[in-house]
Order: sequence, then structure tokens, then C-alpha cells
Amino acid sequence: MLAILPQLLYTGLGIGAIYAICSLGFVLLIRAANVVNFAQGQFSMLGAYIMLVLLVGLGVPYWAAFLLAVVLMAAFGILFAGAVYWPLRHRSQLTVIISTIGASILLPNAVLAIYGPSPATVPGLFASSGFQLGPVFVDSQYLSIIVVAVLMVALQYVVFEKTLLGKKLQATSQDKEMAAMLGISVVGMVLITFAYSAALGALAGVLVAPVLFVSVGMGATLALKAFAANIIGGYGSIPGAIIGGIVIGLAETLGAAYISTPYKDAFGFVILLAVLLVRPRGIFGELIAEKA
Amino acid sequence: MTGITRRAAMLGTTAALAAPAIIARAADTIRIGVTSPETGAAAESGQYMRDGINLAVAAVNAKGGVLGRQIETIVADDQTTNPGAVLAFSKLASDPSMVAFIGSIRSTQVQAMAPSVLKTAKPMMIGGTDPKLTHQGNRWLFRCRPNDTYSAKTIASYGVHTLGHKKIALIASTDAFGTGGRDALTAELKALGITPVLTIGYANQQADFTPVVLRIRSSGADLITSYFTYETDLGVFARQLRQLGVRTQWLGSPSIVDTAALELAGPALYGTYGVADYAVDASPESKAYAADFQKHFGKVPDNQSSWAFDAINILAIAIGNAKSTDPEAVRTAILSVQGYKGAEGEYDFDQNGDGLHGYSVVQNQAGKINFIKYVEFPKPS
Repeated sequence: MLAILPQLLYTGLGIGAIYAICSLGFVLLIRAANVVNFAQGQFSMLGAYIMLVLLVGLGVPYWAAFLLAVVLMAAFGILFAGAVYWPLRHRSQLTVIISTIGASILLPNAVLAIYGPSPATVPGLFASSGFQLGPVFVDSQYLSIIVVAVLMVALQYVVFEKTLLGKKLQATSQDKEMAAMLGISVVGMVLITFAYSAALGALAGVLVAPVLFVSVGMGATLALKAFAANIIGGYGSIPGAIIGGIVIGLAETLGAAYISTPYKDAFGFVILLAVLLVRPRGIFGELIAEKA
Repeated sequence: MTGITRRAAMLGTTAALAAPAIIARAADTIRIGVTSPETGAAAESGQYMRDGINLAVAAVNAKGGVLGRQIETIVADDQTTNPGAVLAFSKLASDPSMVAFIGSIRSTQVQAMAPSVLKTAKPMMIGGTDPKLTHQGNRWLFRCRPNDTYSAKTIASYGVHTLGHKKIALIASTDAFGTGGRDALTAELKALGITPVLTIGYANQQADFTPVVLRIRSSGADLITSYFTYETDLGVFARQLRQLGVRTQWLGSPSIVDTAALELAGPALYGTYGVADYAVDASPESKAYAADFQKHFGKVPDNQSSWAFDAINILAIAIGNAKSTDPEAVRTAILSVQGYKGAEGEYDFDQNGDGLHGYSVVQNQAGKINFIKYVEFPKPS
């Protein structure tokens, strides 16, 4: 059984990276706008559909369709902020959460009404499906996902910790009135955050589409795991989102292979429970402590 | 006027006004309730189901309907979930003018609705193939597909006798359909003296099947047998199976030849065998159905639509023969349907409510489903 371990680790890492990218979008909105966005998974679904329409429907070249899907979703993020968040920004956090839950129901049903229920396929980033490396079949799409996840983490870390924009975003998150008094455009910061978060969601969507197929239900599958990843890693923590996503991906894959396949989905959540018992704030959960 | 209160008079007036309306509507159409997935994981196959139903209804109505009345279907969305199915059915069943129902192709949802169907005491045509559904004393369920005892018998006999395999891996969903199929196939293989080298279950809607594929690879199996519920799961599994270099022969339950599965998995399914309750080339009736379906909807039909098409026709025949819409009379008339040649095959209803007793074996040759042979089993007495 040990012979299959390298392959399982690679696959677990790939699946984990998908959860991680999706989770990054969550974290961003929590950090910058203090919004828990339950429609984050639907950003991925929408991004994948836009890619599908551009690529298959309109015949746009692959890379152009890929980038356009991400850019269009960034614009959609601003619309989303205006419709779902902005009217409720002075209400309690719970009201905004309910609003995002509403959006998470509306968006897939709207897509269902427009495009119908049939799932579709889109090709991967590379023509080759992968290559053999010793005992491991390196799936090229999983490899792309892992690479993009690493790049996104680096980018997000640099933006938040090393740039003025990141500091403005964090200041806005922590105290909107104070930020406004210091001359930071609160509206601008919030809109930037929503746009970037939606673009990240779309990126996860277009990357995962060749693996999971493009379907109306794909957002929900991703969102639940990405949310759990965020809690495991530490609410609102960037490294936590990545570690949490990878922990869930590995736990599912290894658990399914060595313990029980039918209970595959349970392993991630068992770890979630265990982490909450031992470290209620998650692995990197210092943010709540700071805010308390 | 002392004996009549104003309230009683009002009630009487309302009833007098409403009664002709109810009678008129009942006389207008024969109403058949349909629970069908319009949303959720099986929404894509729900569209095929409704297309099949609409095709049959249009044909029956064009010939003057049944008992001089047109057939009207009322669809409720089962959301591809068990609670959704129960809710959809109770919504339909609360209308007393419903004559009969068409339920789900998914065993788990039929199982969820079954107690309510028993209480409603009106016939429901079903497509779920878990053998237990018609064998647990529910006299109102009538199956328009062969149950999995027969798919299991066909998979076991074709896999072992015709293809000559002895080391068999069995992968099945953990839902009612998958476990029903798994148990039936395990029993049939045992009857042939074979214990699967690997039996493995998976929960529906998986993003990744690598652990399953690797266990199959290390099991040394020379034939994979499967009971997949959803086409997306089958598609992900098929692709990863081939990617990870497993070239083992595969003989699957009918979902392996679903149109949606063929589109999603593409070349990963080339060369695989499947047992199918609906195969285009199985009979003149199945060919005619395919041509008609293609003409109306511009796509190739699969079993998601053919059973529902047959269900409407069988109901029309039964109601016509019963000369009544009384549930008990319709029930007797359905059980008396013998030798009816539908799109799925020749219906000979047995006393359990099973209409079909055999499967076709087909092979995917570069994306085209080729009919190999039909295997008929004797009807239980």
C-alpha cells in the first residue's frame, strides 16, 4: 500500500491547492471588508461558465478566454459588491452573510435558467494530460493548479504585507471610520477587494473546470471545502487558508485510500473538528485575538 | 329559513359554484403527476425524462387521448434530493384529480417517496432499478426498467462466461441504487463461484477518484464492474482511470452509456462494455423511438427518456383497458399488460410490478454505442 503513497500525495496536494485558491478569496474579503462571502464558490462556477462561453461558444483563443474570464469576473465582483454588500454595509455582519447566502442560491439557478443543466467539458491548460515521473503520474492540470496557488499566495502576501495598498486595505477592514479620517477611500478599497476576490474565485473555477467539468453545482462543492479550509487554517489568515486547503485535500485523499472510500468527505471535517477542539482559532488564528 | 344559517348558505353556494368547475376539469384531462429533477445534480437527465414524457403524451393525445380525454402532465421539481422528491410528490398527491404518477429513475428517491405513494394509493411508474423497490410489499410501484437483479445477472454472466474474466473489481455508489446493484452483483458472482478481488464504495459527487483507481490498480483485477449513479462521477473516474494507466476491461451498469457520460468522458470510455436497458439497435421499437426523439429534440435518446416514454404509453394502455381511472382498476390493468413492445423492450408485468426482465449488452466503439446482444431472463412466477 506504500507504493501508491507518492501518487496520493501528489493528487492530495492538487486537490488541496484548488481548495486553497478558493479559500484565499474568502480570506481576502474577511480581512479587507470583514465579509464572510458564502457565494465565493459561485464566483468559481461563473468564471468557468464565462470561460466555456468564450472558448466553445464564441471561439475565443484559449489564453484570451482564460484571462478574459478572470477580468470579467473582477468586474462582476464590483457589481456583486454594489448589489449584495453595499446596501447592507451598516447592518450587522450576520445580515451581510444572509445576503451572500441569498446570492449563492440565486447565481447557480440563474445560470441553470440560461445555460440549462448539462455539464460540459473544457480542455486543460496543456494539450498533454501529464507525464510519468517515477511512480507518480503528474497530471498537468493539477500541476498548473499547484503552481498558480503558490503564485497567488506569494502575490497576496506581498500585496497585503509589503504595499501601501495592502496596508490601506487592512486599515479599512479594521476600522472604516478611522481609515476614512486618514484619507483612505473606503469605497475604493472595498470595491478593489470584491473585484480581486471574484477574480481569484474565477481563477479557481477556470483551473478546476477541466478536472471537475463545468456544471451548475461545481461552486457548492468547492465552497464548503474552502470554508472548512479557512476555519482549519485560522479565520482570516492567508497562510492558514493555504495550509487548511492542503490539509483537507491530503486528508481526503489519504483517508479514502487507506481508511474508507465512502467516508472520504468526512475526513476533512473530522480534522476540522479536531482543530477546533485543540486550537479553536485554527492553526494560524491570531486575527481574532487581535480583534478581541 | 330558520334551519339554514348564513354560513351554511354561503358554504352551499360556494360548493355549488365550485362543483361544476371541478367536474369539468376532471372530465377535460387525465392528469398525471411527474416528479422530475429540474434542478440539482441530475438536472441534465431530468430534461431527457421530460422530453420522453412529452413525446409519448403528444402521440397519445394526437390519437384522441384515452377514454376520449387528453392526457395532461403536471411536473414538480424533485431537486435531485430525497427531501425534494418527497416534497414534490406530496405537492402533486394533494391534488385529488391526479390519476397516476411518474416517479424517479433514481432508486434512492423512489425509496424516499415510497411510503407516501403507499398512503396515496395510486399507481406510480418508476425507473429506479434497486430490486427491493418492488419487493417490499408496496403494491403501487410499477417499474418500467429491468431491475438490477437482471443487470447483475447480465454483468456476471457476460463478464465471466463470454469475456472470460475471473478477477473482478466492483465499484459502486453508496446510495440506494449503488448498494442495491453491489449486493445483487455480489450474489450473482457468488453463484458463479467468484468473490470479487475488490469491492469499493464511493459517496456521490466526488472531485477526485485517485484513491479508488489506485486500489483497483493494485488489486490485480482483470475486469472492472460498476454501479455509478451520476454521470459526472463516472466521467471523473473514467478519465483518472486511463490517466493513471489502468487499461483493465470495464463492464458497467447502464450509466456508462448515458449520453451525458459519453460526452464528459469521451475517449476514456472507448472500448468499455455496458449493460443497457435502452439500446437504439435492440428492436424495431427502440429504433423508431430513437428516430422520433432525434427528429423532435435533435439529440440521441438514452434510458433517462425511454423508460418515461414507455411509462406514459403503459399508463394510457392500462387506463384504456380499465375503462376507468379508478386506482384499483388501473393497477389491475397495468399488471395485465403483457407482450407490449416499448422502447425499452417487451413488457410482461409480473405480480411484483416489474415490467421488464432482461438487459442488452453494448460496447462503446469510439464513442458509438454498438448493440451486442439482448439477454432475457424468465419472469418470476
